[in-house]
Amino acid sequence: MKKALALILALCLALSVVACGGAASSAPASESTPAEGGEAAPATTQITLATYPIGKWSDEAVVNELIAGFNAVHPEIEVTVQYLDYTNGDDAVNTAIEAGTAPDVIFEGPERLVANWGAKGYLVDLADLVNPNTYASVIGSCTSENGAVYELPVCMTAHCMGINKDLFEAAGAWQYVDAESHTWTTENFVKAVEALVAYGHTNVGAVYCGGQGGDQGTRALVTNLYGGTYANAEHTAYTANCAENVKALQLLKDLEGINFDASIVGGDEVSLFANGTLAMAFCWNVALENNNAETIQFDAFPMAFPTESGDPVLQGGIWGFGIFDNGDQAKIDAAKTFVEYMTTGDAYVAAVEASSYWPVFEVEGMYEGNEQMTEYGLLVPYMGDYYQITKGWTEARTAWWNALQAIGSGTDVQEALDTFVETANAAANAA
Amino acid sequence: MSRALARRETIAGYLFMLPSLFFFITFVIYPMVMCVWTSLFNSTMGKEAQDTFIGIANFVELFQDKIFLKALWNTILIVVVSVPTVCIFSLWVSSRIYNMPDWACSLFRVIFYLPVITGSVAVTVVWKWMFNNYYGIFNYVGTSLGILEKNINWLGDERFALWCIILILFTTSVGQPIVLYVSALGNVDQSLVEAAQVDGATDLQVFWKIKWPQIMPTTLYILVITTINSFQCFALIQLLTSGGPNNSTQTIMYYIYYTCFKLYRYGYANAMGVVLAIIIAILSAVQFKVAQEK
Repeated sequence: MKKALALILALCLALSVVACGGAASSAPASESTPAEGGEAAPATTQITLATYPIGKWSDEAVVNELIAGFNAVHPEIEVTVQYLDYTNGDDAVNTAIEAGTAPDVIFEGPERLVANWGAKGYLVDLADLVNPNTYASVIGSCTSENGAVYELPVCMTAHCMGINKDLFEAAGAWQYVDAESHTWTTENFVKAVEALVAYGHTNVGAVYCGGQGGDQGTRALVTNLYGGTYANAEHTAYTANCAENVKALQLLKDLEGINFDASIVGGDEVSLFANGTLAMAFCWNVALENNNAETIQFDAFPMAFPTESGDPVLQGGIWGFGIFDNGDQAKIDAAKTFVEYMTTGDAYVAAVEASSYWPVFEVEGMYEGNEQMTEYGLLVPYMGDYYQITKGWTEARTAWWNALQAIGSGTDVQEALDTFVETANAAANAA
Repeated sequence: MSRALARRETIAGYLFMLPSLFFFITFVIYPMVMCVWTSLFNSTMGKEAQDTFIGIANFVELFQDKIFLKALWNTILIVVVSVPTVCIFSLWVSSRIYNMPDWACSLFRVIFYLPVITGSVAVTVVWKWMFNNYYGIFNYVGTSLGILEKNINWLGDERFALWCIILILFTTSVGQPIVLYVSALGNVDQSLVEAAQVDGATDLQVFWKIKWPQIMPTTLYILVITTINSFQCFALIQLLTSGGPNNSTQTIMYYIYYTCFKLYRYGYANAMGVVLAIIIAILSAVQFKVAQEK
């Protein structure tokens, strides 16, 4: 009896090992599903799409609908979706790359697709799929220095500011805003902040620096105030320690109502703006307004960042597809079929609409009659250089919020920005 | 016992150990060896990237890296503050509740153990809300009662951030020691306690001379586990401060993560892992030694 029990126990333990070991064995790269009755069916290629939360591309129902449309035309390709977030998404993808299980298709922007994974040799050149009507500046941002197009662009937007119009009106600060062009001068921005503080709203805006989330807002705010730059035009070096940026950060540091807040990131700032705590958000765009529509109880008015010249340069966002080279040509071909479908015809319009942003080439009649998109669309022409593909970007991002934290803690602005540039350029040179 | 029987039992013993040994080698020994090995290389991410052997250069760089030294200091501070406070507090609570009626003892154990079984993300989100600069409960109560003149940015101010982390770590760390101490105190030989009392020993003497030696193995276990947990403080930092502000909450574990996953410097991150493992091993050995002498 004892022996039998021991044997059963040993068998269970051995099986558990085998079961665990079995999980490691990978399935064939391209799997075919036999039809019922043993008849050979057309091979089904399984691909994985990983998507960051770009507008409604984080909404399972919306994405499933897009994929259903694809499968109606291409039933031979099965698409599994992996939803990523900006907090842990990079780690998930990096771990998958190192484990040899990277997704086949990924939906994100050039700072990751071109400057990171593309530059490291993990992505496929998609030059053959580029729509010739795509805006040249967009294609330029999706092209690596070796000429390879690592991102097939789908949509774009200009990141802007959001202001609480109701509060501005109540505080008498609305007069400082050019409501028609959605722009304002640095001088008027300061006056508006002062008016809001005088009205009793002490938390006007937050230079959030708890992490890299939404850092496009703080970069654009600083570089616009006095016309500074963040990186050079060649995207080879960081220039954020220029006199204009020092002046801008000093202004923000000294301005009552603007807090350097190391306990929040862009997402937190958006929430604080949406619930009325802050009077303005430096991290804002149309998708953020839509995503927070239920919380917002006031008129959220999109604004360009304030400038001395009245000529803002907004930080662009360009999102598109990248395809990982996982060593399986069948999967690469299937992935190409998928992204080609999503960037052509009606499917393209649906894909762009799902993002809540704008197409990367002229699409006649798109957003016609859509008041909100027309309003936000006024800011798109202000889109500036896409410097996020500058080498060493990942380390530079961290160095930026570290610099803001240092300034918030009392470090001299010039010293903090010099440290930022030193760190970021060291990373750029090492890349 | 015949030799054949002994051999058979030995083989059976090893066979039973085999599955655990497999997991131990795969998930503990092999990663440890790889960690030490990789720490000697300039290893990074990239399809064409080649690892270059650089000997102990990563270790040399570590001790010139201001952020690492700051992280090391913060980590040691967390350990030095949290380990004694967790042990003393849990021992005090346990000694108050272990001889209460069963229902009361269980109630307290549940209360103190709740933060342990609640997911660290959920716990952290609640604490983040309480520490919120704009509408957190601490600021609300503090300013309402006149204790605070104005809101404090608890997690955004380098004077307070690390202490907030230590406080949260404390609340999530005391659950298990309390449960263990309650159990250990319940197992203390009552005849010795009664004999000491009959001989006129005070409560303090009873505790120090009778109970304390008997719960020493539990204390040792708690010390080692709490030390390791404090050294490995990561989730709180990742979810609350990302090591900021100004690296004031940077810990070795978080810096390892940042160096590995954000900067892709695998060799350097592994070198930090090796240093951390050595520190933990030395401290654990010291704790064992001291406890054994007692």
